[in-house]
Formats: sequence, C-alpha cells, structure tokens
Amino acid sequence: MEQEFHIEERTDRGRPVIAPVGEIDVATAPQLREALHEVIAQGNATVVLDLLGVTFLDSTALGVLVGGLKRCRELGGELHVVVTDPRIKKIFEITGLNKVFPIVDALSEVAAP
Amino acid sequence: MIEESEFTGSSTLGDGDRVVLTFPARGDLVVLARLVASAISTRVGFDIEELEDLRLAVGELCLLALQGSDARHGDIRLEFTVSSAALDIACTLVGAVPATARRDADGDEADELSEQILAALVDEHGREQADGSVRAWLRKRRKEPLA
Repeated sequence: MEQEFHIEERTDRGRPVIAPVGEIDVATAPQLREALHEVIAQGNATVVLDLLGVTFLDSTALGVLVGGLKRCRELGGELHVVVTDPRIKKIFEITGLNKVFPIVDALSEVAAP
Repeated sequence: MIEESEFTGSSTLGDGDRVVLTFPARGDLVVLARLVASAISTRVGFDIEELEDLRLAVGELCLLALQGSDARHGDIRLEFTVSSAALDIACTLVGAVPATARRDADGDEADELSEQILAALVDEHGREQADGSVRAWLRKRRKEPLA
C-alpha cells in the first residue's frame, strides 16, 4: 500500500533536514516547495533533503529541488540530497542533476557544518 | 536440481489492442495514468526496468500535454496502442484554455527536465497542438518484437 505523501522535518548536527515521504509529483511538489522555502526563509542557507522515503519523483519535483538549490546558493549555502533508491538516482542521472547537487547515500555522509 | 529454463511470459495484451483512459486534467489524478501504464507494461511483456521507465514517462507525457494550459475545465485522454514492435501512448488534453497566470521559475525548469526525461526513457516523443487540443505522444519499442 502506497504511503500517503507527507513531509517530516528535523535537524541533524544543527542543520535542517527536510524528509518527504511517498511520491513527489505535480500534485505533491507544491508542499515540498513550501517546506523548502519556509526553512530557507528562516535563515538556513544550507538544507539537507532526505529522499530515503521517496518512492517516486518527476520533473515537477526536480524543478522544485533546482529552485531550492538556487535559493540556498544565493545565500552562500548548499542543498544536500540524500538518496539511495536506484530508480530515484537514475532520474538525477538522466537529467544531469547528479552533477549539480551534492548527493550522498546517508545523512551521516553530509559534510559537517 | 533446478533446471535452467527460459520464461516466455504470456502477454495478455497483443498486437492491435488499445486501452483508453479519460480523467479530469487534475494533477492529483496523474497517478491514474502511472497506474494504468504499469498495468499495461506488464501485460505487453516489458521488464521491470521498462515498466518503471514507462511509469515515469507517462506522467511526463501528461505534464507535456498540460504545458501552458489552464486545465481546470479540461480532460486528459490517454490512449495506449499495442503493436508487435512497440507501445504507443498518446495523451490529449481536451477542453482546456490557454493559461493566463504567469508560471513560476520552477515550472519553466520542470518543462526542460520533462523533455530530458522523455528523451532518455522512450524511443520517440513529441507534442502537437491542433483544433483547440494539445496532443503529446511517445513510443517505446520492444527489445524483441512479438512473435
């Protein structure tokens, strides 16, 4: 049974972590955009996006991620992405975004602040 | 002892079969297109990787059809056509009007990404506009044609 989309927020070593769970598509991407904008607007230039609970991701979701990355970098920060699912990684690869985002396999691999 | 065998599978959809799905052009219903694409992919003999490719591609096809339109009053009509060589999917947006609100930058970015995803996952794809409706289509060829 597909889990209903929701977003969990926490901190890791003082850094905000946004962890969407479920499918991110044209219907749910606006929620992710709002969560990202809100965290960045609170003054967080560097954000970690934990995609370990994501089962599907489309171009709308990628557009939101790219928008978030631009905002973070404008503030001198970074948007780190944590992902292990080969299907999700493949989408980053075919769009070339694996070379744009700092992508790691585990939260612990994100460079310390 | 386990004997090595070749699984030939049994296609429940074959050459000339057609499936049509129509639903209101709402973002939260694009999931229906993905579900049907998955079901059809297994029935025409695509492997799990091809199924995942098509599930993503058909969602992108819907987004491509919706580009630049205010779809609030429109419908999406998806037509899956099976042939011995390929699966063709056409997505037609009917009854929608051109969008008047300016799109945000994320949306422009997503359109380009959508094109990239389709180009990588399917063999051919395109978008046409005629008689007040938008039609986006894709073709995914089989690795081996049906016997």
